[in-house]
Amino acid sequence: MRIKRSLQAAALIAAAVVLGLLTVQGTYALWNATASTAPGTVSSASFDVKMTATPNSQITTNMTLANDKPANLTITPTSTLLPGGSAYGGVVVTNNTNAGGSFDTAITATKGIVTSTGDGSLALNVSVNAKLGTSAADCSIATGYTVLGASGLVSPPVIKGGSTVLCFQITLSSNAPPSVKGQAVNIPLTLTASQLCGVPGVC
Amino acid sequence: MKNSTLIKGTAAIAVGAALLLGGGGTLAAWNAEATATPGTIVSGDLNVTAAAGVWTDRAGATIDISTYKVVPGDKLTYTQTLTVKLVGNKMAADITLTGADSANNFTADNVIVSALQLKNSDGTAASRLLPVVGSPTQAVTASTSFEFKSATGTRSDINTSYNLGNVKYTVQQVVAGAGLVAAP
Repeated sequence: MRIKRSLQAAALIAAAVVLGLLTVQGTYALWNATASTAPGTVSSASFDVKMTATPNSQITTNMTLANDKPANLTITPTSTLLPGGSAYGGVVVTNNTNAGGSFDTAITATKGIVTSTGDGSLALNVSVNAKLGTSAADCSIATGYTVLGASGLVSPPVIKGGSTVLCFQITLSSNAPPSVKGQAVNIPLTLTASQLCGVPGVC
Repeated sequence: MKNSTLIKGTAAIAVGAALLLGGGGTLAAWNAEATATPGTIVSGDLNVTAAAGVWTDRAGATIDISTYKVVPGDKLTYTQTLTVKLVGNKMAADITLTGADSANNFTADNVIVSALQLKNSDGTAASRLLPVVGSPTQAVTASTSFEFKSATGTRSDINTSYNLGNVKYTVQQVVAGAGLVAAP
């Protein structure tokens, strides 16, 4: 009886050993060698566009706020409007991306619906002109302005770290009625920054 | 009488010994010998080493991936040269790669990421390797590419990242052809 039990135990152990050897057959490795590497992390750039109002240059903001909402920038001309006269303002737009390669942008300004206080007559008697400048000081120079049409004002390519100046001129008609006196006009302008294709043929 | 017997016995032994000594020369019948040097058994070698990987942009310019920031339209390629050493008359080995802990935070639709591939110097896919004639080593290239689609709109995927994680290249000897036995 004892012999039989011993034989059974021996058989069990043998089976376990064989099974174990089969299971770890991979460790009966022939030669092998390994090399490891960490290729790194691909990171995307920011798309930061800074806007600075002119002439009130103390007002600066990123085009997109931290909460991903578009920023509002107030441009306040220093002069008042008189019939036949103009007021000037502008915005300096800077491409502040941290892109590794080239990252050119184009800035487009389009005009919204002009409104004014009071009976609204002022809004009907102003015209909005625009031009591109090379410095904020260019905006106060009366020459070069053209009517800001439906297609808007489009800047030339603004390279990484570069800037462009969008100038606006508001002119009050010389035939404006007396009712416009004391009114304030609000001219909403929408600025859009778009990445330009940096690689011909792939965009 | 006793002395006589002793003397006779001693004499017999002496005669026998003399006979043995005298006949010793006759043991050398024909014989010959030769020497041999069986030689030295030398083992082969198997190894893989990886050179530093290189990232390049679409134009082929080398970039520093630790500081480079991609924008839509960018396409980066990672290339790493592996030097595989295979020495042995019956040597054969499989080369494989395993990746781990990669983390891609980009929107899937905005990027095209190719799987890391191993290629021989002739551009064919590298898998089973054999020793090459004339050199104990051969080059295998690992490469992958990352394209940030130019169709990416709005401000999608700004300030995000794709960590390729850790990659391990393994060269494993295999039993190929006759003359080797598989592992027991």
